[in-house]
Amino acid sequence: MSQATVSRDTVQRGTGRRGALARRLGGREGVAGWAILAVLVLIAVLAPVLAPHGVNTIDDSRILAGPDLSHPFGYDDLGRDLLSRVLYAYRVSLGISIGSVLLAMVVGIPVGVLAGYAGGWTDMLLMRGIDLLLAFPALLLAISLIAILGPGTLVALIAIAVIYVPIMARVVRSSVLVVRGQPYVTGARARGATHLAIIRGHVLPNAIGPVLVQASVLMAFAIVIEAALSFLGLGSQPPTPELGLMLAEGNDYVTTAPWVEVFPGLAIAVTVLAFNLIGDGLRRSFDPNWIAR
Amino acid sequence: MTDAPGDRSLLEVEDLVKRYPVRRGLRRAAVHAVDGVSLTVAAGEIVSLVGESGSGKTTLGQCVTGLTRPTAGLVRFGGADLASAGAAELRAFRRRVQPVFQDPRSSLDPRWPIERTIREPLDAHRDGTSAERGERVRTLMDLVGLPRQLAWRRPRELSGGQQQRVAIAAALALGPELLVADEPVSALDVSVQAQILNLLTDLRERLGLGLLFISHDLSVVEHLSDRVAVMYLGRIVETGTVADVFTRPRHPYTKALIDAIPHPDPARRMTRTRLTGEIPSPINPPAGCRFHPRCPVALPACATQDPVTTSFTATHSAACHVAAASVVSLAAATEPEKKEPQL
Amino acid sequence: MTSQPLLEFRNASVDYATSGGTLSAVRDVTLTLAAGETFGLVGESGCGKTTLSMALMGLLPPAARVSGEILFRGASLGTLAEPARRELRGNQISMIFQDPATSLDPTFGVGFQVAETIRAHRDVSRKQAKARALRLLAEVGIPDAAARYADPPHRLSGGMRQRVVLAAALANEPALLLADEPTTALDVTIQAQILDLLADLQRDHGTTILLIGHDLGVIAQVCDRVGVMYAGQLVEVAATAELFAAPKHPYTRALLGALPTRAHGPGRLPVIPGQVPDLTRPPAGCRFKDRCPAAMNVCDTGPALVTGADGHAVACWLDPAADGPAPEGSATAAPVTLEGGGDD
Repeated sequence: MSQATVSRDTVQRGTGRRGALARRLGGREGVAGWAILAVLVLIAVLAPVLAPHGVNTIDDSRILAGPDLSHPFGYDDLGRDLLSRVLYAYRVSLGISIGSVLLAMVVGIPVGVLAGYAGGWTDMLLMRGIDLLLAFPALLLAISLIAILGPGTLVALIAIAVIYVPIMARVVRSSVLVVRGQPYVTGARARGATHLAIIRGHVLPNAIGPVLVQASVLMAFAIVIEAALSFLGLGSQPPTPELGLMLAEGNDYVTTAPWVEVFPGLAIAVTVLAFNLIGDGLRRSFDPNWIAR
Repeated sequence: MTDAPGDRSLLEVEDLVKRYPVRRGLRRAAVHAVDGVSLTVAAGEIVSLVGESGSGKTTLGQCVTGLTRPTAGLVRFGGADLASAGAAELRAFRRRVQPVFQDPRSSLDPRWPIERTIREPLDAHRDGTSAERGERVRTLMDLVGLPRQLAWRRPRELSGGQQQRVAIAAALALGPELLVADEPVSALDVSVQAQILNLLTDLRERLGLGLLFISHDLSVVEHLSDRVAVMYLGRIVETGTVADVFTRPRHPYTKALIDAIPHPDPARRMTRTRLTGEIPSPINPPAGCRFHPRCPVALPACATQDPVTTSFTATHSAACHVAAASVVSLAAATEPEKKEPQL
Repeated sequence: MTSQPLLEFRNASVDYATSGGTLSAVRDVTLTLAAGETFGLVGESGCGKTTLSMALMGLLPPAARVSGEILFRGASLGTLAEPARRELRGNQISMIFQDPATSLDPTFGVGFQVAETIRAHRDVSRKQAKARALRLLAEVGIPDAAARYADPPHRLSGGMRQRVVLAAALANEPALLLADEPTTALDVTIQAQILDLLADLQRDHGTTILLIGHDLGVIAQVCDRVGVMYAGQLVEVAATAELFAAPKHPYTRALLGALPTRAHGPGRLPVIPGQVPDLTRPPAGCRFKDRCPAAMNVCDTGPALVTGADGHAVACWLDPAADGPAPEGSATAAPVTLEGGGDD
């Protein structure tokens, strides 16, 4: 014990604001992840400015033509500029991945907090409801919803959120259970704090760590799920530029015009990488034993 | 119920019982954490509760601070029964009795600056204006010996001893009359432990604070307390002043406990009267006297009959057939002077 | 066996590389253990006692660097590669820890785990290992060992688990047993049983025991000699009776003075002012000087651990023995730097 105490307690934390920021983000990986994501978000926001050509501008003479100086990513099967489409596609893809997870958190966090904090019957009932949702295979659930509501970007977002709600609720609940068992919560009760005050002041701030890590992982996955849905024709509909849809559309031309598949695929990979790095960094920054180097 | 004249009785525990239902396979059993305990603490008195795992001392502490509702029995504080108190009464009660926990690290919210932790009880009860609360926090920090510049630090930046001081300051915020401290110094180094023990003694002198001190460390208990109650498997087996219990222990368990203390004095080697066996589980306590399977002097009656508490002096009592028998034979020789069972 | 010491630390130091600088966890410890004795290493948290024992076992994390020498049976441990170290662990040097709950694998029977230790180092059949394990379990006082052989650890109480841990530690008749706070997590009556057991086992097997702890009571009862550490330095070594009766180092005196049992009557306990120094910026010379009531200017250098004629060693300028001939162990030769902890 003394060894760990010495390492942890007497270690001087990296001085300077740069060091502090790097620590908050969880080391080199975290910083890299956030940096990449920042660039991608910037691309998404500035797409109208950055895109050299229109998203739907068709050039019949250039169908499936390869990359050239004015069109670095080449042309797709309708003669549209792939670079512009990829840039705009980030808007949709990031919107879906971030939006679906945020929506899942808005629903899942209160459920998880209530179940974890109240315990007893409340916990049991809520968790059985969550288990019910979890019992459905994710894709099946999404397909059913889309069948009811019709395909489209927004519906895809909602479907993914529905898949994610039970996962979020579970993570929140176990995190809350840990915090609720701590003496400082018991002490707060003994000092007369109300349940609401405890949840707001103690439970939520201390339980949020694992939730954020899970959120980053889910965001990475959302893009993959959306790609799968688009592949099946259930997600965004053409002519919307969306990375998964572009993968689906380019599937037929892999051997003849690989850039139609490769560039959207790379774009997805980079996004997933960014989310994963962020997740790793978050996990490290919440780990009390991790010492920033 | 106390006998020292003029001492106001602060806390009265009467026949307290706390059982937890437990499922063993398909059968339903119960953990008899506390099984009929009576105890008093007078104003400004330090009473220690001593025992090993399964003795129920922690559960008893939780019942006294209102963190757990007892299954049966009374917890009277200043006359009012806590067990049957409503929400409002409970809130008022919380101002008078406060807990202090063992591990200073986890009894403070790691994300809160310590100023906020100490202020929390004042915020919860809406005591005074914001400025007044801030002032009270500073007063409390002075009282427990915390330098004021630590006010905005997080717990992890403080040492174990400082963290425990913060916990004590927070416990004192509402001006309680009784502190219930469960192993408050067990997690601290010896030199730091000494500081906290001194602090507790100071607070008793300056504030007239009563203290229910729960511990397994008998040397600390001997140094700090006025009176001691020894618990085993949910019952109190012996009560008395420190002199009574440590120099003239009557219960065999108390004797074994004292014999087992490793003294930091090689000249005083621990005697070899060892207790055999393990501490039984409180789910199925032995019949009769709970200690009889491990007792070196058990009589046949000990296996069947629960011992009653007998008094040896005005302050000293124990629940043991063997000890009682010696009183009876003594009383037969002298004038019988059997008092009411007294704790 | 010659009268060669079993274990020797020569100017052993352990440093950690951290983001805040180099943390000096152990500095210049010189210590000798003879075969068959029970030695207690005592100190408060952060004093380096566990770090020192981990250095001995080669179980330090990669960030640690060990300098100086650690000799076991005359052979320097620093020159050993990991396979040789593994050969020593559990075989010639055993270690038991504070928490019996995490020392044992929860999914296997306790008897099996003892047998496993035997088979790791001895070429015996399963049957032979099991038979020996059963004998060991009985020897450590597990009632009805045959029936409990297959019990997983959670079926046993804390005291019983610690007995199993002891059985596994002694299975291969090690020359040295490192016990790091072995009874801290146990109830006091159970602790007494385990301490008795340790004494019996030591007598029957002749094992040398290095007992590490912060409980001075336990140390006083069980050990022949005691070493006191503070902030990474070894400040005093003496026979137990001598140390407790006549401590020489101001820290030892203050530590003993702060104990409730040695206080004379109720009232305030004497307290050591100040705090343990920051080991990333350790003070030069004696690390206790900022809290010492008798600190002098000369305390900025040395003092080395000097052994008096009676075997009582103290690292303090106040002790009259320090005025004798130049003490050994002072920084004359450059310490040999070894790779610490390593690749385990």
